[in-house]
Amino acid sequence: MTQEELITSLKKIVKPYIQDEEAFNNLSEDTDFINDLKINSANLVDVVLDVEDEFDIEIDNDSMEKMLSVKAAIEIIESKLAES
Amino acid sequence: MIGNDIIDLSLAKTQSNWQRSGFLEKQFTKHEIEAIQKAENSFLLVWRFWSMKEAVYKVVVQQQKKRFFAPKKFECKIRSETKGFVRFEDQTFETTTQTTHKYIYTSVGKATAQHIGPKADEQEILKLIERNTGIPSIQLEIKKTAVGVPELLIAGKQRNYRLTKSHHGAYEAFEIINLNNS
Repeated sequence: MTQEELITSLKKIVKPYIQDEEAFNNLSEDTDFINDLKINSANLVDVVLDVEDEFDIEIDNDSMEKMLSVKAAIEIIESKLAES
Repeated sequence: MIGNDIIDLSLAKTQSNWQRSGFLEKQFTKHEIEAIQKAENSFLLVWRFWSMKEAVYKVVVQQQKKRFFAPKKFECKIRSETKGFVRFEDQTFETTTQTTHKYIYTSVGKATAQHIGPKADEQEILKLIERNTGIPSIQLEIKKTAVGVPELLIAGKQRNYRLTKSHHGAYEAFEIINLNNS
């Protein structure tokens, strides 16, 4: 999967939880889930669960701890996909 | 240091599905999940624990100076209707929680002023702070640090006041501590 494809599916995943439309439309690798997209922290768990379902991977606690941005999420997904 | 968290219960009902598979396991410890399952009102306990974790996170992130998302590292224990404890690594924090039929509100630390009210914009918050501190709102400004902690600036400088702030759904809450009085 290319970086671009990853961002596209990530964008689909976060869409139901975002509270800043403009930041969502401009979503890039540098977008922060909380500061930019204003995702409620309780919904971050939903993002993690949705990523697990979509990519059929398991996100352990140490990875989840860092999953605060698009960039971090992509790194985690890529490394988990490489493991499986 | 102080921290707080408010949860609008009617929004929590629609915004999150705590019964979703994996939802509890990702953010609550084994003991917390047992308590949730045994509780008379599991929904309320889920959100009470969550507000306790969030309020304490706001203190811990100031110590660590680095953001992180590790709700399971904050272990909650209920002491009474309002009092509880949250353990994070080798520290234990005492929390105070108010539960109404509309919201759950948790605070940690000994603030000198507390406000819980309807959703407010920054100007309204500054007016409320003026009322609590006597400092004209025109001199006040709220700025977030790199880890997302709000700082109360007076004429552009951080002085003796510390601020914690929480917004969810229809509610806005903040607490202030005057370091000179505490």
